[in-house]
Amino acid sequence: MTTLTPTPGGAAVRRPAPPATTGRSGTPRQGGTILAVPALVWYAVFMIGPVIAIFVIAALHWPGMLQPVSFAGLGNVRTVLDDPVFWDAVRNTAVQLAVALPIMIVCAYMLGYYVAQKPPGHRVIRYLLFIPGLISTPAKAMVFYAALSPDGLANGALQSVGLGSLTDAWLASPSTALACLIALDVWSGIGFTAVLFAARLDSVPDDLGEAAQLDGAGHWRTMWRIHFPVIRDYAGVVTMLQFLWTLFGSAQHVLLLTQGGPGSSSTTLSFLVYQKAFIAADLGYSQTVGVILFLAGLVGLLTIRRAFRQNY
Amino acid sequence: MKLGKRWLPAHLLVWTYAGLLIVPLYYFLASAFKSNEEIFAHPFALPSSFGFGNFRTAYDSADLGTAVVNSALVTVLALALTLLLALPAAFALARSTSRLASAMEKIFSLGFLIPTFAALFPTFLLAAATGLFHTRLFMVFFLPATAMPLSVVILVQFMRTIPREMEEAARMDGASTYTVLRHIYIPMCLPGIATVLLLNFLTFWNEYLYSLIIIGPDPEQRTVQVALPTLKAITGTDYGVLTAGTVLTLVPVWIVYTVLQKRMQQALINGAVKA
Repeated sequence: MTTLTPTPGGAAVRRPAPPATTGRSGTPRQGGTILAVPALVWYAVFMIGPVIAIFVIAALHWPGMLQPVSFAGLGNVRTVLDDPVFWDAVRNTAVQLAVALPIMIVCAYMLGYYVAQKPPGHRVIRYLLFIPGLISTPAKAMVFYAALSPDGLANGALQSVGLGSLTDAWLASPSTALACLIALDVWSGIGFTAVLFAARLDSVPDDLGEAAQLDGAGHWRTMWRIHFPVIRDYAGVVTMLQFLWTLFGSAQHVLLLTQGGPGSSSTTLSFLVYQKAFIAADLGYSQTVGVILFLAGLVGLLTIRRAFRQNY
Repeated sequence: MKLGKRWLPAHLLVWTYAGLLIVPLYYFLASAFKSNEEIFAHPFALPSSFGFGNFRTAYDSADLGTAVVNSALVTVLALALTLLLALPAAFALARSTSRLASAMEKIFSLGFLIPTFAALFPTFLLAAATGLFHTRLFMVFFLPATAMPLSVVILVQFMRTIPREMEEAARMDGASTYTVLRHIYIPMCLPGIATVLLLNFLTFWNEYLYSLIIIGPDPEQRTVQVALPTLKAITGTDYGVLTAGTVLTLVPVWIVYTVLQKRMQQALINGAVKA
């Protein structure tokens, strides 16, 4: 039996007790496992194969689609590590994760807790929180483009309240481009994550909170000291998800909004993979960064898992 | 639990955030009916007229009609293929207790840890090698593979809730494996199938980066998500047209969400948490 992640009690299907492996094994089950083969093959061809290929291409010297390919060994790694742009991307990605993740998870948890207490209007809130989860990446990017371009919503709002001096070309200024991308992540991430938290908190028995309140705990205390430990491992899962989405998904936002610029001020690691492959056509370089990204993802997942482990 | 006065700051913060979600969307919807001048002069005012001029311009200049058809085609075919592959697989894995089956299940579960994006370039090579580069067909083949781990795991969980006696009784009556799947398992896990369909509908319809690279810019083939950003370049900074185009691409998702709101939330929650 493998359950990768805990199921949210009220939300998901309840798993029955695992079927006894010994008790019924006498009954032969015709047409068994072979039915799973097509799905597995499909999955292997389109997903596992390409992932393995990343590692192979990373070891090749391949300066363009139609260029001759030669074996580079660890040569690409050296090139990548010597490239200041790569280090800019590392820094930007680190900043992005360090800023976006904590804000997103903490705010989303509090928001989810709020919604789960069923205050007046919580249905409306729930409906609204979900909106970012529905909007496609290009549409989200268009929203931000319209809001942040020089004659867009943000500058218009600033001007109309008499703060015209604060206006900026947000997406085109080296000091704010990365911040805009982070804002986009946080803006769309909080709502969706909050809905996930709320769904999980709905299945925490009410008397738990009530008991704590009778003992004189305030809401703040109940929220962090009573409820949070109960759903701690779930918070870990949600954090892992957001971590992966931010780490790998940022390429799309960067591509749509800033193209990594100005200079390399908003180039993230995942955008670098894209940019080296499809714009600069330096394929070995691109996939080497891909491997690094992959390993970063793995290390991150393990770290988050450890950090959120239940400590009874 | 009683919510006292001390919750006032919480109420304020939450509704502020809700405002941050809704204001840009309102701005979008309102701007879709305005000209640039109107947008700059009165960004938050209601549009003075509800003409569909911007929508028509967006529709024509970015070939959004063809793009919507393409997106619908890719989404529907990929959804069908996903079910065709995932249903028998989940059926087999849910019933089998063999070690091989549990190994297979593990492989599918591990798929959650593979971020699709990482393999963009090799997938592009695969498309080129199969001669399906710059076609919608490759996306129809490719998308189900990305959906396989989640779909199989969700369906297996649903199918495990079906009592074994049901199958045994049917077997007594001489039902074949196919009949068991078709007449017992599929009808009984319709909620699971709905979850998988909704979840994948959303990801398939909203898929951007792979569509951009694999299908490419050809207006005959590209999907809405690829066509949409081109509006920015085509129209320069005509926000009216830009926002109108974006609103158009949101409509299908919006319809589905409004009709199936509860179900959709449930599906996404199930999906995201198992992912």
